[in-house]
Amino acid sequence: MIERNTVMEKSVDACVPGLCARVVVNEGDKVAKGQEVAVINCMKTEISLTSEWDGIVTKVLSKEWDELEVGMPMVMLKVSDGD
Amino acid sequence: MLKVIQGGIETLVEDWPGRLGFLGKGMAPSGAFDNVALGYANLLVGNAPGEAGLEVTAGFFEAEFGVDTVIAVTGTPNPPAINGQHIAMWESVQVRKGDVIKFSHIGPCGFRWYIGIAGSIDVPPYLGSKSTCIFGNYGGFEGRKLQAGDVLKFGTPCCKSKDLLGRKLKKEVIPEYSREWTLRAIPGPNTCPDYATEEGMEYLFTHSFKVQHTSNRSAYRLEALPDSFFSRLDGGVGGSHPSNIIDHGYAMRGALNICGNTPVLLIADGPTLGGYMCASSVINADLWKVGQGAPARDFIKFQMCSQDEATQARIDQTKLFVEAALV
Repeated sequence: MIERNTVMEKSVDACVPGLCARVVVNEGDKVAKGQEVAVINCMKTEISLTSEWDGIVTKVLSKEWDELEVGMPMVMLKVSDGD
Repeated sequence: MLKVIQGGIETLVEDWPGRLGFLGKGMAPSGAFDNVALGYANLLVGNAPGEAGLEVTAGFFEAEFGVDTVIAVTGTPNPPAINGQHIAMWESVQVRKGDVIKFSHIGPCGFRWYIGIAGSIDVPPYLGSKSTCIFGNYGGFEGRKLQAGDVLKFGTPCCKSKDLLGRKLKKEVIPEYSREWTLRAIPGPNTCPDYATEEGMEYLFTHSFKVQHTSNRSAYRLEALPDSFFSRLDGGVGGSHPSNIIDHGYAMRGALNICGNTPVLLIADGPTLGGYMCASSVINADLWKVGQGAPARDFIKFQMCSQDEATQARIDQTKLFVEAALV
């Protein structure tokens, strides 16, 4: 039997309110689960935002100084459900 | 005991009223940023309202209980999960040895949770308080925020777990959270006409100020005041800016410090003196609201208040944490 993976789009969302310090991945980059994709400035602290999935970056939605609310998508990933 | 799996954004041991009596030595009082949520969490688990609990700021804290005990979680309305099941907030909850509590992100309003644990947290008091001062690296658990691998001990509960279960706060006494927080404040000591204009003070007490992303346990920084706030017309930026005055002691906690054009609320771990004017002081009974203000999201408004009103509000707040508040 052949197993086929469905490709899904997932977003890596801001985990805290704050300002986008930087996005550390670019479109087309491969990312691994647990890898840092962006950094948020909140409470004078840099808070690392990591990916919950292995995947490929399809879109970067945030840039430096953007104000972020919790749950705001910062990076889009193409993820296969076999991952 | 409790073994920390993930420290989260910032999780601290805090009590109330914190470390008082050392301002003259430059030591901030620290203490729970939202003493009301801590007080209720403690009430629910049979502790005195000012006992030490865990202050979970911005979420993502995860820990495993090493004993059977009773806890209560209060604060921003997004309940944590125990073993994957969301628990009720503002009521006592039984936990068993091996249970894992996990927090996600903050709720739609509020910024901090408090975990009250029957018997409190057993850390050595430092200068009369178990509170952590993260900017001074003293007090609480090793003077720092919690991190993976830390093990916290608990004190002795007041009574058996079965006697603490079923304790639940009346709905009408649960504090109302918002994205715009009204803080009662007393003008001064540096106000109009010598330091600020009448128009400036009017602006201060009518405008809604956005909380800046740089706000933390030391200072809540608000959006800038217009130049017309200041009485002195000369100066400019830096040390000659009209917000600069001769060094003086700050009314900790709650002083509204004006640093350049930026109003800065000095709170828990804030500085004890300096050379910026202080245009007003937030009353002690409203300090808890600052602790629930989310940086880069919420707004703060000031409402003028008399000293008598402030004193009465403080007395009234001490009466909140009583058995009559429970269902």
